[in-house]
Amino acid sequence: MHDFTYHHPNLLSDAAGLLGGKPEAKLLAGGMSLLPSLKLRLARYSDLVDLKAIADLQGIKRAGDAVVIGAMTRHAVVAASDVVKQAIPALAVLAGGIGDPLVRNRGTIGGSIANADPAADYPAGVLGLGATIITDRREIAGEDFFLGLFEVALEPGEIITAVRFPIPLRAGYAKLPHPASRFALVGVMVAKTRAGVRVAVTGAAATVFRLTQAEAALDADFSAAALDGIEVDAGEFSSDIHASAEYRAHAITVMAKRAIDAALR
Amino acid sequence: MHAPATSTRIGQPVPRKEDLRLITGKGRYTDDMNLDGQAYAVMVRSPHAHALIRSIDSAEAQAVPGVLAVLTGFDFIEDKLNPIPNKTFSMHPAEMPLINFDGTPAFNVSDYPLPADKARFVGEAIAMVVAETIAAAKDGADRVVIDYEPLPCVTYTVDAASPDAVRVRDEHDNICIDAQVGDAEATAAAFRSAAHVARIKTWVPRVAGSPMEPRAAVGDFDAKTGRYTIYTCSGSTLRLRRDIAIVLNVPEPHVRLVIRDVGGNFGTRGAIFPEQPLVGWAARRVGRPVKWTSERSEALLSDYQGRDLAVEAELALDKDGTFLAIRGSNVGNLGSHTGNFSMVQKGVEIMSSIYRMPTAHFRARAVLSHTAPTRPYRSSGRPEVIFVMERLIDLAARESGLDRVELRRRNLILEAELPYKNPFGMVYDSGAYHKVMERTLELADWRGFAERKAEARKRGKYRGIGVANYVDTATGIPREKAELTVHANGSVDVVIGTVSNGQGHETSFAQLINEWLGVPIDKVRLITGDTDIVTVGGGTHSGRGMRLGSIVIWHASNKIIERGKQVVGLLLQKSPGEIAFSNGLFVAAVGGQSMTLSEVAGAVTSRTDLPPELRGPLMAECDETINDAGFPYGCHVSEVEIDPDLGNVEIIRHTTVDDVGRAVNPLIIHGQTHGGIAQGVGQALLEHCFYDASSGQLLSGSFMDYAMPRADVLPFFTTEISEVPSTTHPLGMRPAGEGGTTPALGVVINAIVDALSDFGVTHMEMPATPERIWRAIRGKPQRSRIVPDAVEQQISLT
Amino acid sequence: MPTVSITVNGELRSAEVEGRTLLVHFLRDHLRLTGTHVGCDTSQCGACTVHVDGVAIKSCSALAVACDGASVTTIEGLAVADQLHPMQQAFHENHGLQCGFCTPGMIMSAIDMVRRNGHDLDEHTIRTQLDGNICRCTGYHNIVRAVQAGAAAMRER
Repeated sequence: MHDFTYHHPNLLSDAAGLLGGKPEAKLLAGGMSLLPSLKLRLARYSDLVDLKAIADLQGIKRAGDAVVIGAMTRHAVVAASDVVKQAIPALAVLAGGIGDPLVRNRGTIGGSIANADPAADYPAGVLGLGATIITDRREIAGEDFFLGLFEVALEPGEIITAVRFPIPLRAGYAKLPHPASRFALVGVMVAKTRAGVRVAVTGAAATVFRLTQAEAALDADFSAAALDGIEVDAGEFSSDIHASAEYRAHAITVMAKRAIDAALR
Repeated sequence: MHAPATSTRIGQPVPRKEDLRLITGKGRYTDDMNLDGQAYAVMVRSPHAHALIRSIDSAEAQAVPGVLAVLTGFDFIEDKLNPIPNKTFSMHPAEMPLINFDGTPAFNVSDYPLPADKARFVGEAIAMVVAETIAAAKDGADRVVIDYEPLPCVTYTVDAASPDAVRVRDEHDNICIDAQVGDAEATAAAFRSAAHVARIKTWVPRVAGSPMEPRAAVGDFDAKTGRYTIYTCSGSTLRLRRDIAIVLNVPEPHVRLVIRDVGGNFGTRGAIFPEQPLVGWAARRVGRPVKWTSERSEALLSDYQGRDLAVEAELALDKDGTFLAIRGSNVGNLGSHTGNFSMVQKGVEIMSSIYRMPTAHFRARAVLSHTAPTRPYRSSGRPEVIFVMERLIDLAARESGLDRVELRRRNLILEAELPYKNPFGMVYDSGAYHKVMERTLELADWRGFAERKAEARKRGKYRGIGVANYVDTATGIPREKAELTVHANGSVDVVIGTVSNGQGHETSFAQLINEWLGVPIDKVRLITGDTDIVTVGGGTHSGRGMRLGSIVIWHASNKIIERGKQVVGLLLQKSPGEIAFSNGLFVAAVGGQSMTLSEVAGAVTSRTDLPPELRGPLMAECDETINDAGFPYGCHVSEVEIDPDLGNVEIIRHTTVDDVGRAVNPLIIHGQTHGGIAQGVGQALLEHCFYDASSGQLLSGSFMDYAMPRADVLPFFTTEISEVPSTTHPLGMRPAGEGGTTPALGVVINAIVDALSDFGVTHMEMPATPERIWRAIRGKPQRSRIVPDAVEQQISLT
Repeated sequence: MPTVSITVNGELRSAEVEGRTLLVHFLRDHLRLTGTHVGCDTSQCGACTVHVDGVAIKSCSALAVACDGASVTTIEGLAVADQLHPMQQAFHENHGLQCGFCTPGMIMSAIDMVRRNGHDLDEHTIRTQLDGNICRCTGYHNIVRAVQAGAAAMRER
């Protein structure tokens, strides 16, 4: 690991100030992806600005018909949160299945989303539930947030402060874990909202995406059977030593059905 | 749960003494060693599977602050050091010899720990940077400029055996040994008369042993005495010291090797690895101790790997299902070194397992490829061929319409037929093969399976069951020595040439002393792994630790008792024959006077009235060469459920009965079986060192891609110990460390194929990943490489 | 270089460390507490598990500077005088270890599992909640038994 200067500001404005004018500075959240990549010397930064001490970034609250989760909230906290379990149980399930318990004790929602690993679970939650990313500058619709492989719509120095999840009528998350990394080989969030059904898929492609053909079918009939006969095109999907694009395409339909079953339970 | 131990003698499940150190963080693994003034080494590893090394420019690296030295293969040669010798065959007299069919010697070449000519696998160490800190060494390593000329490579076993394959060694083709064993003519005749023939063409892929402690070595050099001290983790002591001395070009006594706690071995670190002599050399060059510790990704690239055997085999049966003959061809992948041919030696010699097999013929080849070197890994060669044999039997059952258990019953060797010489010349000693299989079937409730299968189907799951018998040949270095010293305070020191890599020798060996000398186990101190103290011995491999350790400790204990009787006789004015010894007490048959063992130990060192030959410390040694092999055997039954939507396999039950002849510590033995099963299941379902065929890159280069078995992929196991005394061991013991793994590959795949039989699936390649199973269910080809289906169909697995 | 002060096993320890120093290296190299191990480089194996402010984390994936002011418990800090922690005792009695390398992490992780899930742990919970810790020797059989026994014994302590 290359060395860096470590900062741990107490205020969001200080964090933003520390990033200013330092093109090689990086925010540190839970560090579950950042530190391994530094250890393997895949990345190098001049400064790490640790967000752990900023109280404003912590916590979970119900705000009307939404749940707002502070960016530095750890996965274990989301998974165990009564607010989340009551309002959006699928999100608690998702958080409770990330990595392993030790990773969940450390990793954060903001860090996961900002990193935008193509196989991370949270992006499916954000896109599938139609969440909004709140930053220190603006609000970004989940729709517009994930741009590509490890690429998001944040500007230089912009800091995620929270994620607002509208409470769906029903939702379910089903994940086929990668046999080694325990990321998602395929993860599917299905949500029935007032505005219609949303289906988001992670793990299969360079970035999370919505499965619009399934959404249309589920709008008509919110049941696993409604997906019978849906063929997912494997065209752009990832192929690696663990799964071919073809298998991932198939697994999406299976996991989507299981997510629907979970949503209906 | 086991009943708790009622004593600490042989046969008791005694909780381990070494635990108290290891559960409190006081273990001393190699990386825990810190020597004053130590520097740190980092290896620069080849990014190419095959490349000429045109030049190495280390100027920029040398300039990095903190960097003390950059060492390359050119420096190594300049310093007149030697390449690492390979010992390709087991020369154990009980082992089946392998010779080239044309009579030429097998190809064997030594390997430089840092090659100066070519890189021959991705991850091969090419240069070593030594610095004040690991970070500085890494900074330096980033700046070593190696000018490579990349060359084409070959990674797959069958590809490497092809006559027009790219050569790993310019001076020889890739085939290091090409042997024919058995009786070709008789076998051909048997096949001509066969009513049924079962055929298989398969590949047992390569896996990584992955002990949880990464490899490490700390080297120290004393310039005054010219002596090296190497602290490291290994299964070997004196052989490793000899090999390090050869490489460092010094007499053996100029190397002291120290092995303390070792975080797993499983065979893949039984042999010398390049960094062990390199840290010694580096210490001499920089004048300070040098430590090297592997990172996991580095370990996956450069640890010795295991398995990798391509097999074509056929089994001939008569119309009643009696085995007539087996024949085929085994090709083992050595990787880039002519390291060890065990996979085709140990493998082929028990190809027919414990079944009556009138005749056999096999071709055995070991080939070089541009991949990490392979070495024996947990049961070496045997899991591969037992997999093949047990798959063949299930295929034959399908082919002939006979029941697969009945087919095994019909052909398993009977107790009365033992000792039995198999068609490769191996002589199995003793055993109750039928009884053990029947007991395993009973424990696993084989009869009740149909009901469980039907119940699973109601839940949408496909349930399958499989059975596999096995035998192991335990050989290894035949010479072992024990030195026992009884102290006046009642304690006993045992110096022995074995080394524990987690097998619990401090406890099980102490139980032997408790049994024979009556000394409490906490008063027994086991001293191993320091070549300044241990002078003879073979380390731990091939089920030799307890098997040979028990013999030499037993004989040495008897010598202690004999001498004690003489001393006591003299002191009590009796003849030695009138003195009995039991439970640590010498008692006169007449009169009943007694002396304890510790009193005798005190007397011989303090009394001046004893004759000279009885004076001096109460110690005895036994140095023996034991040329008999051990033949542990047993049976596994595995039961799985498959989710047909995704192809996921869940192991529901796994039942074993292993014959260990005589169990010293059942707690430890069951633990060995559990761990062995997990390694077998890991290979069957998850693990694979995946080399890309065209680039030679390892695509499973970290624990993010190399799938280790975790707690949630395994069930509780049902394991039972059988004790039919071995007739090749004076105490009746058989090794217990490998039986968990040997049949596990075959039994799990047999269960999966059984579960998938409704879909017409007859075979599954390993690892049986969800995708492979999903494809098999749909009649699609099972992917062996990342290629389109159309191409896959063109590729022969073997 | 920044100075960190961390209470380790009840004792305040201060040292100058680089920003990049990982907690595990602070423990192993600066404090010579070598019971915490490094078994991988991608946060999979859990051999480095310690408790930071009562919560188990992988110390290979935390910066020492980020733990400034925190309270850290390592495997060396579990036993009180000569009295083993019930989880340590359970690993011993159930033969939950062989080579012992993963064991400190397993024990630290198991204790955290009890914090999260209580004392009555079924097999399924233990197995799924152990997926951040890899063992190569035991096949997990006796580890699962040990965690179950240790969790129950912790209630009585």
